[in-house]
Amino acid sequence: MGAAGSKLEKALGDQFPEGERYFGLENFGNTCYCNSVLQALYFCVPFREQLLEYYGNNKTQGDADDNLLTCLAELFSQICSQKKKTGVIAPKRFVQRVKKQNELFRSYMHQDAHEFLNFLLNELVDILEKESNAAKASPETSSPSEKTANGPRSLQPNGVQKEPLVTWVHKNFQGILTNETRCLRCETVTARDETFLDLSLDIEQNSSITSCLRNFSSTETLNAEDKFFCDKCCSLQEAQKRMKIKKPPHILVIHLKRFKYIEQLGRYKKLSYRVVFPLELKLSNTVEDADSEYSLFAVVVHVGSGPNHGHYVSLVKSHNHWLFFDDENVEMIDESAVQTFFGSAQEYSSNTDHGYILFYESLK
Amino acid sequence: MSASNAQSPGLKTYFKTPEGRYKLQYEKTHPSGLLHYSHGKVVTQVTFAQLKDKPVPQPTPASSTLSSTSGVRLAAARLLGGGNGSRALSFVGGNGTSKTVSGNSRIGSLVGHGVSGSTNGPISSNYDGKGTYLIFNVGDTLFVSDFNSQDKDPIKAIHFSNSNPVCHAFDPEAKDGHDLVIGLSSGDVYSVSLRQQLQDLGKKLVGAQHYNKDGTLNNSRCTSIAWVPEGDGLFVVAHADGNLYIYEKNKDGTGDSSFPVIKDPTQYSVAHARSSKSNAISRWHICQGSINNISFSVDGMFLATVGRDGYLRVFDYSKEQLICGGKSYYGALLCCAWSPDSKYILTGGEEDLVQVWSMDDRKVVAWGEGHNSWVSGVAFDPFWSPPSSDNTGEGVMYRFGSVGQDTQLLLWDLVMDEIVVPLRRCPPGGSPTFSGGSPHAIWDNVSPVGTLQAAPSIRDVPKLSPVVAHRVHAEPLSGLIFTHESVLTVCREGHLKIWMRPGHAENQSSSGSETLLGGLKDKPILTNKVGSSSLRQ
Ligand SMILES: [Zn+2]
Repeated sequence: MGAAGSKLEKALGDQFPEGERYFGLENFGNTCYCNSVLQALYFCVPFREQLLEYYGNNKTQGDADDNLLTCLAELFSQICSQKKKTGVIAPKRFVQRVKKQNELFRSYMHQDAHEFLNFLLNELVDILEKESNAAKASPETSSPSEKTANGPRSLQPNGVQKEPLVTWVHKNFQGILTNETRCLRCETVTARDETFLDLSLDIEQNSSITSCLRNFSSTETLNAEDKFFCDKCCSLQEAQKRMKIKKPPHILVIHLKRFKYIEQLGRYKKLSYRVVFPLELKLSNTVEDADSEYSLFAVVVHVGSGPNHGHYVSLVKSHNHWLFFDDENVEMIDESAVQTFFGSAQEYSSNTDHGYILFYESLK
Repeated sequence: MSASNAQSPGLKTYFKTPEGRYKLQYEKTHPSGLLHYSHGKVVTQVTFAQLKDKPVPQPTPASSTLSSTSGVRLAAARLLGGGNGSRALSFVGGNGTSKTVSGNSRIGSLVGHGVSGSTNGPISSNYDGKGTYLIFNVGDTLFVSDFNSQDKDPIKAIHFSNSNPVCHAFDPEAKDGHDLVIGLSSGDVYSVSLRQQLQDLGKKLVGAQHYNKDGTLNNSRCTSIAWVPEGDGLFVVAHADGNLYIYEKNKDGTGDSSFPVIKDPTQYSVAHARSSKSNAISRWHICQGSINNISFSVDGMFLATVGRDGYLRVFDYSKEQLICGGKSYYGALLCCAWSPDSKYILTGGEEDLVQVWSMDDRKVVAWGEGHNSWVSGVAFDPFWSPPSSDNTGEGVMYRFGSVGQDTQLLLWDLVMDEIVVPLRRCPPGGSPTFSGGSPHAIWDNVSPVGTLQAAPSIRDVPKLSPVVAHRVHAEPLSGLIFTHESVLTVCREGHLKIWMRPGHAENQSSSGSETLLGGLKDKPILTNKVGSSSLRQ
C-alpha cells in the first residue's frame, strides 16, 4: 500500500495540493458502497469543512454520545490530520456504527450506494435537529443550526407546529422542488413544495443528464384513473402536472436510476445505458431562469452487470486533478477518462463501469 | 439495394423532409472482427475525398480496367453535376487540371505510377471507382471505402503500429502528390498521397512525410486537422493540450523545431519557429484544455476553434489575430462548421444545443434545441437551395444538419428575416433583461475585436426546432457530411450510412408530398421568442 501511495505522490509531484490528503479506505467485506460515498463526501469541500468545524466545536463536550455524525466527523478528522499525504485508513468505527444503526447494511450482501447516501444524510440531519432541540431546551449551549424565515414548509405531518431547521447539511444539499398542478377545468394552479437532498432521475439509452433533467420536469397529464382532486372544483379533474426546481441546492446530487424493477422478470435489472454527464452543468428546469453553473466534482461508479453484485468505486476532482478511488487504492486519472464511465451504447458491451451518483457543486 | 440494415433492427431506412424522402443507399463499415476496444476508445471520424485527376490511361495495352475507369469517370462527372463550384466539398468535375499533375521526387519511386502523367504505369485493380472515397479511422486502422460502390467493406486498410489515427483531412486542390494528412493519438502527423496508398497493396502507410515525430514537438493527442484553403500545402493540427501547429507539407522538418515556453497558459499567443528550417512553422496557443475541433471558412480567411473550455474562437488566419468568440451555454464544445458564405458558424457541444454564431453580430443568434444528448457533428448543407420563391416573404436561407450522441440526425432551417434582423433592431425596453452589461451595448454595437462573449442567458437567444429528427444508427454519432447527392452519417464505432437526397435515390418513390415526422409537425419550425416579439412591436 505504501508503494501505491508513493506512486500517487510521484505522479502529482510538486503539484500535490498543500494540506490535502488522499487516503484509500479499507474494505470490510462488501463495504465499497460505503467507501465510494465517503470519498465523494470527503471531497465535497464545503461539507467536509463544516463537518470538521462541527467536530472542533463539539468534541470538547466529551464522548458522551457516539453517533453516526460523530463517527463520520472523527473519520474525516482522522484522514485530514494524517502525517503522510497518502495511505490507507480503516473506517472501522464508522462502518460498525452504520451496521448498528441500520440492519439493512448489516449483512455482507452487496448494498446500494444511493440508499446508503440517502440514509446517511437523513441520519445526519436527524442528529443535528435533535441536538438543536436539546439546545433550545437548555439555552446555555449554542445552537448548531439556525432558523430561516423563508425556509421550506415542514413536511412532517405531525400536528406540532414546528419551524423547520436549516442545518449545515441542508445548506449544502437541500433544494426545493415545486410540483405545479394545473386543473384543466378551472385552470387553477396548485403548487406544492417539497424538499430534496438528491434528485433521482429516470434514464434513457444514449441520452444526457440534461435530457434526463428535462424529462424529469416534463409535463404529465393526470387523467382516467389518475385524476387530480381540485380544491376549487371540489371534484376529481383532469390536470397537468410538472415538477420544477424552485431552489437549486448548493451541492446537486443526481442519482441515475440504473436499477429498475422489471415486472416480467420479477426482479431488478441493471440498466447499462450510456448517459453522458458534462463536467459543467446548468439547470434549465427551474422556476426562475437560474443560469447558475455547476461543476462536477465526484462520481460514484457501479461496476458490474447486475444489481445484486458488483463493486463501487468513485472518481473525485480535487484541486483540478481527477482521482480514482477503489477501496484501498487511489490513482490519478486524466479528466478525459471520466467519459469511460458514461455507460454502454449497446447492451452486450463488456464495459460495466457506469456512473451512478453524480455530485455537482454550484460555482456561485 | 443495400438498405437492409441488418445490424440495427428498428431503424428506418428512410426519413421524410419537407422536400421529400431521404433514402438509405449504402452502408460502409469495417471488418467486424476488429478488436478496436483493446486500443482504447477511438472515435471514428470520416473524410470525404475526391481524386479529381485520374491518371491518363496508357494508350498501348488497352486493359479493360483502364478503359472502364475512364468510362466511369465520365459517369461520375455527370452524377456529381460537373464543376458546380463548391470548393468546400471539392465537387469539381472529373476533367483533369494541369496543376495536379506534377512529379515529386521526395515521395519516392511509386508515385510516378499515379501522379506524373509521363510515367504512367499499370494501376492496381483495387482502385477503379469513380474517384470518390471515404476515409475513416477505427482503432489503429485507417480505412478507405469507395464512396460510389455498393460494397460495404473498405477497399483499403492502413495499420498504424504504435498509435491510433484520430483525425484526417483531404485537400482536393493539392498541388502535388500529398493530399491526405493524418493526425495520431500520439501527436504524430503524416502527410501522404491518397492515390499512392490506393495503388499500394500493403497494409502500411507508403511514401509518407512524418511530422512531430514521436511527439518531439507536442506529445498530446491530435484532435483535429485541416488544410489551409488556398494555403499552398499548409495545414493546421490541433492538439489536446490547447495548442495548434501550422506545418508546411513540402518542407523538410530537420531543423530545430522547438518553440518558446508558453508564459501565460490562460492567454492566446502565437510563436514562430526559431529556425527557418523548422516544421512546424508556428504554434498557436489557443486555450487551456483540449481544442476539440477546428474549421476554416471556405475562403480561408478565418479559422474557428472550439474546445474543452466551452469557447468558440474565431481568428483572422493570416493576421494571426483573435477576432471574436463566445462561451457555450455550459460544458465543452465538440464541433464547429462554417456556412458556405462564411457568415455563420455552427457549434455543437455538451449542452445538447446547436448554436448559430453570426460573424456580423459577433454573437450567438439562435439555439437549436432537439438533441437528447451531446452534439458531436454539425454542418451546413452547401447544396441546399431555398424552396422557390413562390410564397414571397420569409425565405429559408440556410439548411444545416447536426448529429448527436443520441444517435439522431437533425435537419434545421435557418430563416434569416425572422432571426437575425430583428435582433439587431431590437428596440430599447422591448427586450427582456440581459445578464451582464447594458443591453444597448450588446444589441446596438458589435463587441470590439478580440473579445470573447460570456455564455448567453437562456431567455436571450431565439430557439430553433428541427424540421427533421431521425434516429440513424444504433450507436452515438460522430459526424456528418453533405454531398451533392446525399448526406452521410457516421457513428463512433465506425459504421457509415449514405442517405440519398430526394430525387437521387436509385429506386425513387413519389416523395414530394410527404409530411413531416410525427411529433414534429405540430411544433412551429421556428420559435423565436426574442426576435418575433420585438418584430411585432
Ligand atoms: Zn379545478
